[in-house]
Amino acid sequence: MKFLLTVSLLLLSLTTALAAEPLPSAAEIQRLGERMYRDGLLPSGAVMKAFVSDDVPVDGTAFTCVSCHLRSGLGSIEGEVVTPPTNGRILYQERKPYVQGAIHVPLIHNYAVYLPERPAYTDQTLAALISAGIDPTGRSVLKAMPRYELDDRDMAIMIAYLKALSDQPSPGVGEHVIRFATVIVAGTDPVAVESMLLPLQFSVDRKNRLAAAAGANPRVARMGYNMLGDLQSYTFTLARWTLTGPPEGWRAQLDDYYRKEPVFALLGGISPGDWEPVHRFCEENRIPDLFPVVDYPVISDSDWYTLYFSRGIRQEGEAAARYLHGMADLIKDRAIVQVIRDTRRGRALADGFRAGWQATGHTPAIDVLLPAAEALTGERLQQIVAGHKPAVLLVWDDAASLPAIGALAGQPDRPGLVLASGNWFGQALWTVPEPLRELVYFTWPWRLPQEDARFDISVNKIFAGKSPAAYDPRIVRQSYTTGEVLGKALMEMRGEYHRDFLYDTIGMMTDMYYPLYERVSFGPGQRYAAKGCFIVQLGKGEKPQLERRSEWVMQ
Amino acid sequence: MIIPLVRALLLSAAATLLLAAAAGAAEPARYQRTIERYTIPDVVLINQDGEKVRFKTLFDTQQPVVVDFIYGTCTTICPILSAGYANLQRKLGTDTTRVHLVSITIDPENDTPAILKKYLAQYSAKPGWDFLTGSRKDIDRVMNAFDAYFRDKMDHKPLTFIRSPKDGSWIRLYGLLSGVDFLDEYKKAGLQ
Ligand code: HEC
Repeated sequence: MKFLLTVSLLLLSLTTALAAEPLPSAAEIQRLGERMYRDGLLPSGAVMKAFVSDDVPVDGTAFTCVSCHLRSGLGSIEGEVVTPPTNGRILYQERKPYVQGAIHVPLIHNYAVYLPERPAYTDQTLAALISAGIDPTGRSVLKAMPRYELDDRDMAIMIAYLKALSDQPSPGVGEHVIRFATVIVAGTDPVAVESMLLPLQFSVDRKNRLAAAAGANPRVARMGYNMLGDLQSYTFTLARWTLTGPPEGWRAQLDDYYRKEPVFALLGGISPGDWEPVHRFCEENRIPDLFPVVDYPVISDSDWYTLYFSRGIRQEGEAAARYLHGMADLIKDRAIVQVIRDTRRGRALADGFRAGWQATGHTPAIDVLLPAAEALTGERLQQIVAGHKPAVLLVWDDAASLPAIGALAGQPDRPGLVLASGNWFGQALWTVPEPLRELVYFTWPWRLPQEDARFDISVNKIFAGKSPAAYDPRIVRQSYTTGEVLGKALMEMRGEYHRDFLYDTIGMMTDMYYPLYERVSFGPGQRYAAKGCFIVQLGKGEKPQLERRSEWVMQ
Repeated sequence: MIIPLVRALLLSAAATLLLAAAAGAAEPARYQRTIERYTIPDVVLINQDGEKVRFKTLFDTQQPVVVDFIYGTCTTICPILSAGYANLQRKLGTDTTRVHLVSITIDPENDTPAILKKYLAQYSAKPGWDFLTGSRKDIDRVMNAFDAYFRDKMDHKPLTFIRSPKDGSWIRLYGLLSGVDFLDEYKKAGLQ
């Protein structure tokens, strides 16, 4: 006890020490604090020093607060290891083994039972926790929480940063409403647009019906509350932001929409081509966008705010590279030729392949570029094959290339394998003539159709009397997934409607099995949910099925 | 400088004792330890350089081998396990290849060789620490072989395995070990 007294006396003088140093402006605290919290760098620019597991020294650049407490500071759960929230609002409250006001909501309540009780922190006890790993009850947290060497000023900045972290609900969250918007690039095929919108509107309406029913009937309200907590009384809105003109002009339009109606997040969105300006808008305003329907997502391993279904068209090319890498022993030093239609799609496929192939240390493939308007004839393809004698021929072109590929069938020095994009071939894939089916392989970035049928019942609920034939089945399935992921995430957010926590929560989800993609998976900072792509062949017979030639994800 | 002073006090042995007394409980065991025998599956995995590695052959060696299961974007568990690996390499001095540290991803879905390489660089890994990925099927087989099957990466548990080159037995450590504990266990395995 005498010891604790000494500590308290020391902490008392710490108060004065912390107060004595003048702190920088709020904006500067935000910047410097964020740098410590996310990058492990001190305000001086030097690397933060930590000791983990009591005694193991670690640099802040290996990991820092964000690696465990996540960006929102609202904590993480992985297996049996619970990392508690580290934002001021929660730290400066007493912790009980239940969440006040949510005792009957298992989803929220379960989380708190993992954590021991403690009194509210003060600036002083918080400084002691961060620098010495002792919590206000005197318990050591050093088994899992590192201790950090911070001087008084840096500590004060850190604490001020934590106080502001996830303090106020994000923009777009009202007392009983959460606002969303979706972005439609004018000129997109109207069927595609409606297919994207229908499942989103379905999710929003379903949620609002529950809120209305709960408002009208106390029993429904009680049941809804036990499942969703306060979320049950919220209504959602979904605005449609249409962008017109060339991409250069989109940013001003987005800014304008956002000024008029700040939204919590964007849902979906659709464009026949460019998406980058919307991606940048989200990045700069820190607005989440869940799953835009686009073929050319922005590829980045550090951007944060747009969650894509996949890496788009490019991912098929990457999968082709991994597949061929798996048979590198058969290819040996023979050539690989990529015939590339000089369009955005053709180039994206070729880029994906090139990056994947070269990353595994292989000799680059030979590229043959086909001008956008030039037909690929059998003669031209035979010439290419005769010239390079490739072991593998990649044909990044649409189904009009099929007759030319057919002309190779009888050629003696034909490649052992021809690979094309099943996505690009579209319906024509099913018309590949029998003699060619052995030779031609396709990338197939979805679950096999015969195996996806089991999701029909859930997806069909969305049509509610409308004719499914009037919609694009793939886009409907994509958007259906958006609604499901959003619903699941919001339920797990414990009433903490912060944009960063939305992504932290999604990052803690287990692998999910929804329609269309074989599997979607998440993880802190992972931004392309469907990571795989099958390599398939068309089976034999009149009513052929696709046959898998690879796993969903190949390394 | 008041904070370092607090720290010095809190971390002295006397303080630890006092605190334990104050909390009214002794420190619970920090981790579980058992001796096991495992049959290593014959699968081909891929390392951070994109090279194929026949997993079984990693253990045809007179060198000590340590195995853990981590992944590129994991929270609390992996930073701690990997800090332990980095620390052991530091203690090994110049010849870090005397001990083979093997990390195996439980998120092969996301962990490409490029991601593995970046992860190792983040921890200033030196030669002797390899990070392996592979097909989901093969990774499942490896997890099963070590009786460490995680249905999902979010069910992750902190496990470390130390193989004794003397008789091929494994020390299985379950829990978040301190640096001292890890080095201790390592020595107990008859390794220097
Ligand atoms: C390796 C993962 C990890 C890192 C890095 C980490 N923490 Fe923690 N932190 C934890 C865990 C786990 C706990 C809970 C420990 C316990 O209660 O036994 C914790 C506890 C805390 C607590 C106490 C919460 C409470 O309610 O008592 C605070 C405050 C905190 N951390 C702040 C920080 C800050 C600030 C940083 C960066 C300077 C940081 N942490 C870095 C894992 C981490």
